[in-house]
Amino acid sequence: MSDAHGQHPYRVYWITWALLLVITLAMLAAESFHLPRIFLVVFLVAFMMVKAVMIGGNFMHLRFEKSNLGIMVLCGIMLTSLILFAYIAPEAKSVLEKTVR
Amino acid sequence: MTDAHAAVMESHWGGGAQPFGASWQKTMMWIFIVTDALLFSGLLCGYGYLRMASPVPWPETTRVFSIPFIALMTFILISSSATMGTAVTAARLGDGKKALSNLCLTIFGGLCFLGCQAYEWSHIIHEGARLTSNPWGAPQFGASFFVLTGFHGSHVFSGLVILSITAIRSALGKTPAQGVEMAGLYWHFVDLVWVFIFTLFYLLPS
Repeated sequence: MSDAHGQHPYRVYWITWALLLVITLAMLAAESFHLPRIFLVVFLVAFMMVKAVMIGGNFMHLRFEKSNLGIMVLCGIMLTSLILFAYIAPEAKSVLEKTVR
Repeated sequence: MTDAHAAVMESHWGGGAQPFGASWQKTMMWIFIVTDALLFSGLLCGYGYLRMASPVPWPETTRVFSIPFIALMTFILISSSATMGTAVTAARLGDGKKALSNLCLTIFGGLCFLGCQAYEWSHIIHEGARLTSNPWGAPQFGASFFVLTGFHGSHVFSGLVILSITAIRSALGKTPAQGVEMAGLYWHFVDLVWVFIFTLFYLLPS
């Protein structure tokens, strides 16, 4: 696995790969324990974010780019999505209350 | 004035010829990825809305899908991302052979993923899932499933087209290392989107 420079340039991908697999298996295992729903949701979402950061950082090299590129990507995607969801979630709840009533 | 200007130019937001410290191709690729991610963010928020607003209980995904099979699809996609990363680094180090073989492995992984998805779609349609109805619960489940996985699958397909062109061109020695990197960024993005769909659509309990 070593290149001509005597380093291990490919190792980071395969370590990331192994960690992603372990996290995925942990998420699947968590499904089978009968945890309270809120714990399970928090656990799944937290590890989903960890996986996303690992893919963005190691596979897409954001860790090694100038930091403003990472900030642009992170804010551009996550902040916009959170704002979108924060605005439509209460709306969905009120629609549900009206239909149930 | 000049001091302030110099301070700005030295900061992370200094700008200059390369505001993000990357070539224009890479910068534009990233801007494209952000906009494409917003498409999926909109779709996922729409799915969240449908699920939260549904008066009929959302189907238990563990009953509808075979979760080990979905896990296998995830495994295939993660593995293809790792081979893609290897291809990008190999191309950068000038190891054309390794880059090409890993590109071919990535294409193989993508084809396997699409095959699994085709199987999953035909299976679930056979079971009675339609865009507007399904036998398991909230009728919006069908539309959410087909739109989310359909959009993702179409991205995998276009990723495969890009990868095939890149592989052919690098076999002919026509693709610079950056070309492989661009294709890689797109492929990892497709993997990234699957992480969100896998968790939020398949795993999130009712």
